[in-house]
Amino acid sequence: MKKIIQQLSAISAGLLMVWVVSGCASQSSAQPPAAAAKPAETKVAAKPKQGVRSPSMLANTCAGCHGTNGASAGDIMPIIGGMEQEYLVEVLLEYKSGERDSTIMGRIAKGYSENELKAIASFIADQPWVSSPIKTDKKLVAMGKKIHDKQCKTCHEDGGRVQEDDTPRLAGQWPDFTLQYLHDCHAKGRRCSPRKMGMRVMKLSDQELKAMAHYYASEK
Amino acid sequence: MTQFTRRNFVKAAGACAALGTLASVSPQVIGKGHKGRVIVIGGGYGGTIAAKYIKMADPDIDVTLIEQNPKYVSCPLSNEVLSGERNIESITFDYAKLSGNRGINVVTDRVMEIDAAKHTVKGAGGTSYAYDKLVVSPGVDFRYEQIEGYSEAVAQKIPHAWKAGPQTALLRKQLMAMKDGGVCYIAAPPNPFRCPPGPYERAAQIAMYLKHHKPKSKVIILDAKDKFSKQGLFMQGYKKFYDGMVEWVPGAEGGIIEAVDPATNTLIGEVDEYQGGVLNVIPAQKAGKIAQLAGLADDSGWCPVNQKTFESSIHKDIFVIGDACIAGKMPKSGYAANSQGKVCAAAIVALLNGQEPGEPSYVNTCYSIIAEKWGISVAAVYQLVDGQIVGVKGAGGLSPMDAKPATRAIEAQYARSWFKNITSDMFT
Repeated sequence: MKKIIQQLSAISAGLLMVWVVSGCASQSSAQPPAAAAKPAETKVAAKPKQGVRSPSMLANTCAGCHGTNGASAGDIMPIIGGMEQEYLVEVLLEYKSGERDSTIMGRIAKGYSENELKAIASFIADQPWVSSPIKTDKKLVAMGKKIHDKQCKTCHEDGGRVQEDDTPRLAGQWPDFTLQYLHDCHAKGRRCSPRKMGMRVMKLSDQELKAMAHYYASEK
Repeated sequence: MTQFTRRNFVKAAGACAALGTLASVSPQVIGKGHKGRVIVIGGGYGGTIAAKYIKMADPDIDVTLIEQNPKYVSCPLSNEVLSGERNIESITFDYAKLSGNRGINVVTDRVMEIDAAKHTVKGAGGTSYAYDKLVVSPGVDFRYEQIEGYSEAVAQKIPHAWKAGPQTALLRKQLMAMKDGGVCYIAAPPNPFRCPPGPYERAAQIAMYLKHHKPKSKVIILDAKDKFSKQGLFMQGYKKFYDGMVEWVPGAEGGIIEAVDPATNTLIGEVDEYQGGVLNVIPAQKAGKIAQLAGLADDSGWCPVNQKTFESSIHKDIFVIGDACIAGKMPKSGYAANSQGKVCAAAIVALLNGQEPGEPSYVNTCYSIIAEKWGISVAAVYQLVDGQIVGVKGAGGLSPMDAKPATRAIEAQYARSWFKNITSDMFT
């Protein structure tokens, strides 16, 4: 976790660069038309330089799977809009390097430079978090809350609302996603990252994992 | 390739200067956006997104979406209607939320004519709509003439089911009426066509239905081609779940269908004739009708565009997105149309604000569901290089051949969640 903080300064420097160079098309309305009036002679075969793509241009391609502005419509696709930028950067870089297992995200993340992934993360992080509207099972929620209070809340504070370091928001997340993540962690056991989570999750039953997913979904 | 030529600049500046005048003079103008009027023709995977993302980026642009049907039936996931895994209502959407939430004027009308010089389009009832920028997202039309005896009328008996809706329902009905031991033939089209893995997912979904209800039956794909999308993964899936039930006949081995005889329910191939219980003929395709009528297509039948903005290479101020356009290496898929709609929207917003369109970014993600818990995918990330959309090297690709069953099960879940999300991106 410390390494993340150490990386922060480098990350924000990268982001700043992206923001400055891209000129952000989505904010174009602020610019008067005259701003474009530079002479743009198109002379022969000057090879076009690969332009910098704006954060919105890059991040809007995510919405086909993760919903508009990352507010997923369900069921197993996680809500990502409004998650902490540092967490998103870490996850995307891990997908790119292959360090983090995935079905499809690894294939997609490899299509972007590190700076582009940081730009995507910054755009997604800037969006409002929209909790899943799903109705949760009361009994499962109660069972999940007990487990949470006992062994999860020191990192996932305030019902999973607090996002610090590389702790993602869980409150209001789609339960199918949380459950899949927990199943994955359960299977990995001690090899789940972070290990202390793996060691706790590996001891839970299927019903308890389901209860955890419902509990976090209930905390809007 | 610098897009901002002198001509383009004059055009953009001219459009801005003329707005006030046009808005106050023309009685046909619907709403009065301060920055300009955009009309989008076609409310599918491309058109809804272009309309919505223009409004999201700049609410001062007036956006009208003209769609001929009050409700939209999605092609993606319609193969699950054929197997009975879902009903047609679950793939049917209306435009109320898109209109209400996003301030888009949605009009039910069929555009019959585009006047590129006057910047107007005309609806079936004679209504004329004026635009500064026009987005055309008409999907595909069929080249019935390439299969003798096939036509729109014959498709009422031998469905293509390549536009979802009544055609999907018809094919489902025929499958349900088929006797156990019957054969369903799927004639798959030549490239390029809408949804390259679609016919092969369809074979799997139909086989799933047959396996449960008519286990002595078969699905035979008669292909105009010698290879197809996700081929290894599909063949692996057929063998695992429908061994002996799904057969694929490549073009070189007699798969090419040259004619149909609706009177005897027969497909006539280069070599053999096939008389089936159920015939599903998916003909060769071209850009949707309005694109043809408006002269937006070239000799290939598809619409050449500037791949940075999707502006037509033939008519100024008209943008063509989705299946109808020629988009470099991108396939004709729902996700590609979604991605193109966003690139096009950003370009139009930039142009109407007197700016140069930004550097584009595109993605395609396409899932196929072979069995209830067996999904496969292909993905690609694209960039513009020398004016052409090309895949980023080292990224994208297929689900691995040796994935574990648990991974295939998750991909099937992703496929269905993909559908929830992409349709919420379109219709809310």
